[in-house]
Amino acid sequence: MSPTEKCPRTEALSTLVDDELDEPARVALDAHVAGCAICAPVLAEFRQLRTTFAALPDVAPGVDFAPLVDRRIAAAVVPKPKPRPRRWRWWQVAPATFGGALSLSLGVYLGSALMLGSQVAAQPAALQMAAFTANPPGALCPALQVCQPTGR
Amino acid sequence: MLASDGPDEDWVRRAQAGDRKAFSELVRRHQERVYRYLLRMLGSHDDALELTQDAFVKAWQALPQWQPEAQFRTWLFRIANNAALDALRRRKLVEFVPMEDSFDAPSCEPGPERQAQATQEVRQLEASLKRLAPEHREILLLREVEEMSYEEIGRVLSLSEGTVKSRLARARAALIEIHARSRP
Repeated sequence: MSPTEKCPRTEALSTLVDDELDEPARVALDAHVAGCAICAPVLAEFRQLRTTFAALPDVAPGVDFAPLVDRRIAAAVVPKPKPRPRRWRWWQVAPATFGGALSLSLGVYLGSALMLGSQVAAQPAALQMAAFTANPPGALCPALQVCQPTGR
Repeated sequence: MLASDGPDEDWVRRAQAGDRKAFSELVRRHQERVYRYLLRMLGSHDDALELTQDAFVKAWQALPQWQPEAQFRTWLFRIANNAALDALRRRKLVEFVPMEDSFDAPSCEPGPERQAQATQEVRQLEASLKRLAPEHREILLLREVEEMSYEEIGRVLSLSEGTVKSRLARARAALIEIHARSRP
């Protein structure tokens, strides 16, 4: 033991109680403890602790775990059918694709028709005023010169 | 067919090959020690029952990783100890344990006065153990109850032998202090 070591030498005393000190260290510590008022009671307490641990009741579970564990293992190893990742086949998506394309085309067509209709509404004001002329659009032509705009 | 007193390692190899009966033999060999350790770590019979099963199921699942260099008991205690620490963290049983809640004390052979004193000491020890920090409790149980060597404790707790030595000393000192405070 080093003379500079402080007391109580707890770690060394603990190792001594466990009988894990090599012979020279054990002899030196025994000699130190015999004359040390700090280490001696600590060693006595450590030894008493060992004795009390040895007196602890031997507790038993009262159950055989083997069948319980085996049941859990058996339940865990039963292969659970895993859902296969869904893959789309071309014939599964074709009707939806066709329907979508048809809807889109119809939408484009109807949209275009509406746009054309709005162009009719956006005719020049002179043409719109033709409704108030002597011979409005759609009326029967009483004479050729009446219906010829250039003839006016 | 293996003799039922053959070494653990033979049974482990069979269990590794998927033999559940061989694993049941290993369970029967170690169940009392594992249960006892978990009971003292957790302080509850029900928790110890549940965690003992869990530890063996985890051991079965981890069997492919078991190496013949590792003693089966050490390897199993490592699993059981991790399960106990997880449970303590989960259930927050680390802080408070009532003094009255101790195990039944053993009967002693000496006279009634000595018997009463020994019973009292055992009760106090059990109560003090429950108040000890888990890292001190685990190391003391492995040494004093399971009688493991420093090297084996180091393997269970993933500690160097030097750390095992110093932590054991601190654990003993802490237990004595708790013990002294709880004395009437």
